[in-house]
Amino acid sequence: MKLLLEILSPDFLLRNALYGGLIIGFVAPLVGVYLVGRRMVFLGVALPQVSTAGVAGAFFWHALFHQGELHEGDFWLALTGSTLFTLAAIVGLAVWESHSRARVEERTGVLYAFAAALSLLLVASDRIAEIGILGLLKGEIIAIPTDELLVLAGGYAAIVAALWFFKKDLLLVSADRDLALSFGKNVLAWDLVLYLIIGTTISLGVLLVGPLVMFGFLIVPPLIAGRVTRGIRHLPLAASTFGGLTAFVGFAVSYKLDWPMGPTDVALVCVVLALVVSAQTVLGWLRRA
Amino acid sequence: MNGALVSFEDVALGYDGTPVLEGLTLAVRPGDCLALLGPNGCGKSTILKAMAGIVPPISGTISRTRDGRPVRFGYVPQQETLDLAFPMTAAEVVEMGTCGGLPLGRHVGHAERARALTCLEQAGAADLRGRLFHALSGGQKQRVLVARALAAEPDLLLLDEPLSGIDTPTAGAILALLGRLNREQGLTILLVTHHLGGVRDVIREAIWVHGGKLLRGPASTMLAPEQVRTIIEEDFLS
Repeated sequence: MKLLLEILSPDFLLRNALYGGLIIGFVAPLVGVYLVGRRMVFLGVALPQVSTAGVAGAFFWHALFHQGELHEGDFWLALTGSTLFTLAAIVGLAVWESHSRARVEERTGVLYAFAAALSLLLVASDRIAEIGILGLLKGEIIAIPTDELLVLAGGYAAIVAALWFFKKDLLLVSADRDLALSFGKNVLAWDLVLYLIIGTTISLGVLLVGPLVMFGFLIVPPLIAGRVTRGIRHLPLAASTFGGLTAFVGFAVSYKLDWPMGPTDVALVCVVLALVVSAQTVLGWLRRA
Repeated sequence: MNGALVSFEDVALGYDGTPVLEGLTLAVRPGDCLALLGPNGCGKSTILKAMAGIVPPISGTISRTRDGRPVRFGYVPQQETLDLAFPMTAAEVVEMGTCGGLPLGRHVGHAERARALTCLEQAGAADLRGRLFHALSGGQKQRVLVARALAAEPDLLLLDEPLSGIDTPTAGAILALLGRLNREQGLTILLVTHHLGGVRDVIREAIWVHGGKLLRGPASTMLAPEQVRTIIEEDFLS
């Protein structure tokens, strides 16, 4: 109880890290529902890695042309790199898809491997960038400046609004393309809208919590929600609730035990998934018995 | 072709730019009840998908208008090829059928849910509404997909192999429903099928996809045993 009161205090030193984690915990699963539903889980791994490469690329570019002026917290530079790389990867994958017979897993796997290698190569050439990127990769979310938190909150609010406003069309195009085409929908345009939402979510989130946490919150809460809800109507809300609650409990555990917040969050949400699967398996056995 | 819901004029259809069928000319008029027949791989489903706008023509013109507005389609895909990625209930699958008529930003509401339930009842599948679609049997899925197509309030109902992989009573019930919809509500229907005997009493005309051409005529003539035997023998020999 004492821990809870301390964390919830407005004067709590790490409050921005808590708020940032909560925002990502609640919003990322709403986007992840589409990644899981469209069987694009690997894209949820690869795009955060591409986004990280974008951050590293931006730092590298800055170090190359503005020696000595680079600051660890150059948020806008990092956001630009992250966004450009993510959007370029999405467009590149779409073009590759239309000109190649390679399976989506193959394309995404190559993208992931390339992005991971590129991130490490880019940061190896610059010490400050290396510190920042390694922090991202480890999911060390301690100090989030208030202005960065506000950008995250504003960006994610826009994403939630877009998901709500376009829900019917995004779901229709994602669930049954042929039906959408028979209704005269422009499925390519709607795919682009969805990919822009996914790209923006990832490029903003990765900047604050890193690729591991981003992937964890995109994918695992929708998987949990899919196991405990029936049908699609309540799935996004359930996924978001699981993500948000896990982010809060994960923060408390990491603060109490002095563990890095990102890995704690992701491990916790995976434990919840394992518990749900185990409970359902045991209940299934009991029913059959 | 005046008055047609859908018309093909010198249409070539295929995939990756390679034509499978060429020089197709066809009109589906209000009130028609047609079966599209032919051997596997002859392009029946491709014609159906081209009508619905799912497959674009390689060349030629396909028009789909009724009274100056786009034709509304109710599309029933082959249920064994349908891979609904999201964990949807039968009711939610049918509600998808109402989405085509909703403007941007408007969601499925009470009116659409009520319409979906009515269509499920019409298809004899109201008791399935709370069950997950992927857990249903082939026949149950087919009823739900027919209900989804009806929920679109279609001008033209397109069904791709609606009777394949389902038991005889269910097939009979679906055919009876289609017959009623055509006779009593004037709904225009075109179905792709191999079940010649089953559809004989329901359809008015049949179209054979034969040697890359379309042969159209009254059901009684096109499904006469001699005609069927001739077409099948020629297809087999070719």
